[in-house]
Amino acid sequence: MNAEQPRKPGWLSDRLGWGGIAASLERHRAPRRGFVFYLGGITLFLLLLQVLSGVLLVLYYKPDAANAHASLERIVGEIPYGDLVRGVHAWSSEFFIAFLLAHLFTVVLRRSYRSPQELSWLSGLVALFIGVGLAFTGTILPWSQKAYAQARVGSEIAHNVPFLGNWLYRLLRGGTEVTSNTLSNAYGFHVAVLPATLTLIVGFHLFFLSRKPAAISEPADDDDDAEASKASSATEADTIPLYPDFLLRQAVVWVGVLVAVMTLAIFADRPLGAPADPRLSSTGAMPPWYFLPFHQIVRSSPRELLGIDGPKFIVGATCLLGLLVVVLPFLDRKGSKLVAWAGWLVLFVLILLATSALS
Amino acid sequence: MSNDEPKGPPRRDFLGIAVGGSAAVFAVAAAYPVARFIEPGTRPRPGPAVVGKLIEFPPGTVRSVMVDDRPALVVRAQDGSFRAFSAICTHLQCVVGYSPERNQIECPCHRGVYSMDGLNIGGPPPRPLEELQVTVNEGTIIVSAVG
Repeated sequence: MNAEQPRKPGWLSDRLGWGGIAASLERHRAPRRGFVFYLGGITLFLLLLQVLSGVLLVLYYKPDAANAHASLERIVGEIPYGDLVRGVHAWSSEFFIAFLLAHLFTVVLRRSYRSPQELSWLSGLVALFIGVGLAFTGTILPWSQKAYAQARVGSEIAHNVPFLGNWLYRLLRGGTEVTSNTLSNAYGFHVAVLPATLTLIVGFHLFFLSRKPAAISEPADDDDDAEASKASSATEADTIPLYPDFLLRQAVVWVGVLVAVMTLAIFADRPLGAPADPRLSSTGAMPPWYFLPFHQIVRSSPRELLGIDGPKFIVGATCLLGLLVVVLPFLDRKGSKLVAWAGWLVLFVLILLATSALS
Repeated sequence: MSNDEPKGPPRRDFLGIAVGGSAAVFAVAAAYPVARFIEPGTRPRPGPAVVGKLIEFPPGTVRSVMVDDRPALVVRAQDGSFRAFSAICTHLQCVVGYSPERNQIECPCHRGVYSMDGLNIGGPPPRPLEELQVTVNEGTIIVSAVG
């Protein structure tokens, strides 16, 4: 008899108005199959891991050239679980960039940037830009020999950005030379400016997605495409409620990601390297893996291209390509399959370049 | 008659433009000082900086030193003469180093090579290393920017 009575909301649910929130989430549908739909959620989870581990690291890290490296050595060597916290922070940042890029590529390959999802696309690209900024500033903070070299090269590459180059260069360096100012600037951006902006942008990104209930399923207005007709006839059987079904599956994926990050943080060694000594030549200046294709182009390019300084030409051309990616939803309104093929081609070339950079 | 009737949309449009325009002006007015605040000032040319004593630089020595916050290489030839170069690669500003095996200056980042005269002789560097001025004053080596 008792089982037939409606369940009373709990104390907290009652105060949160959880019933209303759950009903609203249940109305949203998500695809039943396809790992690609979990990539965004995984990226968000990795961001959360970085914030939590980053907040802990801030308690012991000292952002000045004289003490930065020693403070990290102390975190890793003396503070209980310091090695684990640093490992989680570093590995989750690697995974964060990897999943952010994977998310971007799958959106391109599925042509999900199309109208009316332009704002989701744009906010996602801003998030990627900030994510790379967080990764770059994060590599400077250990103030190791490698960090010093990357601060030099990274800021010089930014120097070649058309129009904004000089301003970016001085901003990244905190002056015209890589000094303790560079480190304190990188720290300020890494722990305050960039995370705050990213939180705002991720909020917008989720809001834009929530405005379109079928946002993560295939758009149905693509009538010149055989796949689309299949998608438009997608029935309820092909989708599941966002809550609880999709979010529960997402939570299971998060546990898997957490296990992978923790395993690497515990068992994979990430040596801090020698403290920065600006007098020594920049050995070990190999950039992080996501910059390897760019590194290879810069390394093997001639001094001049079409009468323009080599690095200036490459950075300018990269900015132009980046601009094309930004306006992609406006250029490709119908969602041409050519873009998906171009996406595969770009991915192939990037992997090829990264592989040759390592050899 | 119709001229006296209030016209809703144009008036609303005007208010919208006025509010939006004012917000844009305020945003620019706020952004400019913020951009200027976070942009650091330019620094003077390096040096003069004392980098060591004459006794520390026997003939045939190449030593990495700091001139202000910038890395530099001081070269003392076998004949006792001094030359100094900025140790910043002219390609992408990595710090270059002396290779005793090949008796040349090398940039490990993108495989740039310079001669002991600072000339770019291999790899991507587009220009020679910046030469600095060395003066010896009462047994003290002083390095500064040329000119």
